Amino acid sequence: MTAGERFAEWFGLELFQRYGAQLLDGLLLTLQLVALSSSVGMVLGVLLALGRTSRWRSLQYGCRAYVYFFRGSPLLAQLFLIYYGLGSFHGFWRDLGLWGWFGDPWFCALLAFTLNTAAYQAEIFRGGLLSVPRAHYEAATALGLNRTTTFFKVTMPQVLIVTVGPLGNELILIIKASAIVSLVTLLDLMGVAKLAFSRTFDFQVYVWVALVYLLVVECVRRGVNRLDRRLTQHLRPTDE
Amino acid sequence: MGSSMQLKRLICPPAPVVIDVEGLSKWYGPYQVLHGIDLRVVQGERIVLCGTSGSGKSTLIRCLNRLEPAQQGRIQVLGADVSASPTHCRAALREVGMVFQGFNLFPHLTVLQNCVLAPVAVRGMPRDSAQDQAMALLKKVGIDQHWKKYPSQLSGGQQQRVAIARALCMAPKIMLFDEPTSALDPEAVGEVLDVMVMLAESGMTLLCVTHEMGFARQVAGRVLFLDGGRIIEDQPPEAFFTAPQTPRAQAFLAQVLG
Amino acid sequence: MFESLGLLSLGAGGWGGALLAGAGVTMALALACVPLGLPLGLLVALCSKSPNATVRAMAALFSICFRGLPELLTLLIVYYGIQIALQKFQAYWGGSAEFSINAFVAAVIAFSLVLAAFSSEVWLGALKTVARGQYEGAQALGLSRRQTFFKVVLPQVMRVALPGLSNNWLSLLKDTALVSTISLVDLMRQTSLAVNATKEPMLFYLAACCLYLLLSSISGFCIAQLEKHYGQGRERAS
Repeated sequence: MTAGERFAEWFGLELFQRYGAQLLDGLLLTLQLVALSSSVGMVLGVLLALGRTSRWRSLQYGCRAYVYFFRGSPLLAQLFLIYYGLGSFHGFWRDLGLWGWFGDPWFCALLAFTLNTAAYQAEIFRGGLLSVPRAHYEAATALGLNRTTTFFKVTMPQVLIVTVGPLGNELILIIKASAIVSLVTLLDLMGVAKLAFSRTFDFQVYVWVALVYLLVVECVRRGVNRLDRRLTQHLRPTDE
Repeated sequence: MGSSMQLKRLICPPAPVVIDVEGLSKWYGPYQVLHGIDLRVVQGERIVLCGTSGSGKSTLIRCLNRLEPAQQGRIQVLGADVSASPTHCRAALREVGMVFQGFNLFPHLTVLQNCVLAPVAVRGMPRDSAQDQAMALLKKVGIDQHWKKYPSQLSGGQQQRVAIARALCMAPKIMLFDEPTSALDPEAVGEVLDVMVMLAESGMTLLCVTHEMGFARQVAGRVLFLDGGRIIEDQPPEAFFTAPQTPRAQAFLAQVLG
Repeated sequence: MFESLGLLSLGAGGWGGALLAGAGVTMALALACVPLGLPLGLLVALCSKSPNATVRAMAALFSICFRGLPELLTLLIVYYGIQIALQKFQAYWGGSAEFSINAFVAAVIAFSLVLAAFSSEVWLGALKTVARGQYEGAQALGLSRRQTFFKVVLPQVMRVALPGLSNNWLSLLKDTALVSTISLVDLMRQTSLAVNATKEPMLFYLAACCLYLLLSSISGFCIAQLEKHYGQGRERAS
């Protein structure tokens, strides 16, 4: 073997030639899953947080039960519950014309992740909502602002400041959790890695994939830190 | 020297030097806090250190038991060179007790457990004897009925008295006090000072950093006045309080007593 | 629909017993990770406060690595990695036996490393709350550094660290579900086996979720007892 071939072998370049494109597709799938589930989950999470602080007892308890269930059980169990569990009602879904959705692992994974992250984000937003002092609501009422305006212009900006850090953490947790979808035959980054390993038994696949995950997670962490610092600029003492 | 003096010398030998400091200098970064301090303390002496804040008085006594490292100079405590590596002076430093401004009691242990911890762990005393000793000392400082309580359940004055008892449980030869009453309510100051007076009268070698001039007058054998990291006055209390020699000491006394 | 509930029964023909056995394995696995993971996490936290820059860097690397990797990936890397390492090692010495590692052991190692990384953050925060005066008071009494750490600092740290550590524990309990992929028969795997046999995924996966919730509740109770023990001597915040 020439030096170049040795280097390529050590570096796993042959691996890249065979599986490089698939790994990239897998990474894209992972990122799509994360982006979609975290954004829809955020909307749902805000609604749940508002539900938990609402005045209607039944709504409050319903939201609490939802959050308790989805935070207390493993995501894997929830994923299997939706994919295998809900997916077993073929007849039902076919009648509704929704079989295309519930038989598809991508949709089931998306649903499971969205529902799961909504529960965690609900708790984060609840903490954020609790951090807005009552006095601000009173001031808004005194100024004659209606509830919608108050919500979007007074409450949410303050809530967002407090929640940026924890939400960033949650985003990282979703990225890491996304590896689970490989267990329902989805070819995300982890899925391709497992496939490649099972064909080649070359351990390097896992090492490279690990590095990619670490890179993505580090980037997100730093991005969130910078965003957090930008948002809390007004809270730090200025250098005169 | 007359023969009566010589006779006295034979019958009562001079007390041994327990602390010998030579040329002690200390910096915090670029800022020099102590400038070439020289100090000799013999056994049984009671010394009060006073001065304005930032004069280095707390730093000085913290250097004596190695809580702060000194960059220059030699410190000998009970014959051991404290400025050297910690292992060599550990045995000597066991004989030095310290009472802090913030008490520093261990919050997760009861009063009795606080007092018993060190004798058992460091001196290897059997637990029963350590407990008996602790109860005796707690009685001496007037706090034995609270032996089962946790520090958070005691007042400041009570906590400080426990801290004194805790230090005494190690049977030290020297006791250092770093502003022991500065964090206390005025009513509590008295109860702690009473204990310290009792300790002084029992012959313990004491170095005390304090603003309590009444205590200094009553108990001290020497008063050291520090300013800018230097000892600028070293006199018996009557002399210091009635006729301070340096203008800074005069200004200080005017402020504190006036 | 209700006759399918019979499938959950504890008797013969019912899968209740099997599920509980799986839950037992889950609990055992999680408990086994604690005596390895928590002390290691404490060590990493202490290392990240070390004056030695290399030691600090190593602690930071450990933390970034095991907090940033998906737990599934960590599990597979440990599981296959150890086997491959053992193969290569014994091949180097001329052996040619096939090596396989016990899945339980691999899982304990993998999850302990993850627990160590996450708990080190909690330990670090808790260590910061111990006032400097405590170290000075101990030093003035003549306690050695080891004695100071174990008798003075650690009991105080435990009180502060418990809430964070209990979160770590609950995450660990849920992460153990992943070992079903390396064919360890925990609660999750047992549930999948039951589903394959009975074709009742909805029932069994719901039951599994409920069992995990039950395990969390039991944990919550035990941790409350621990908090009481370590909270002695402090006024309860009202």
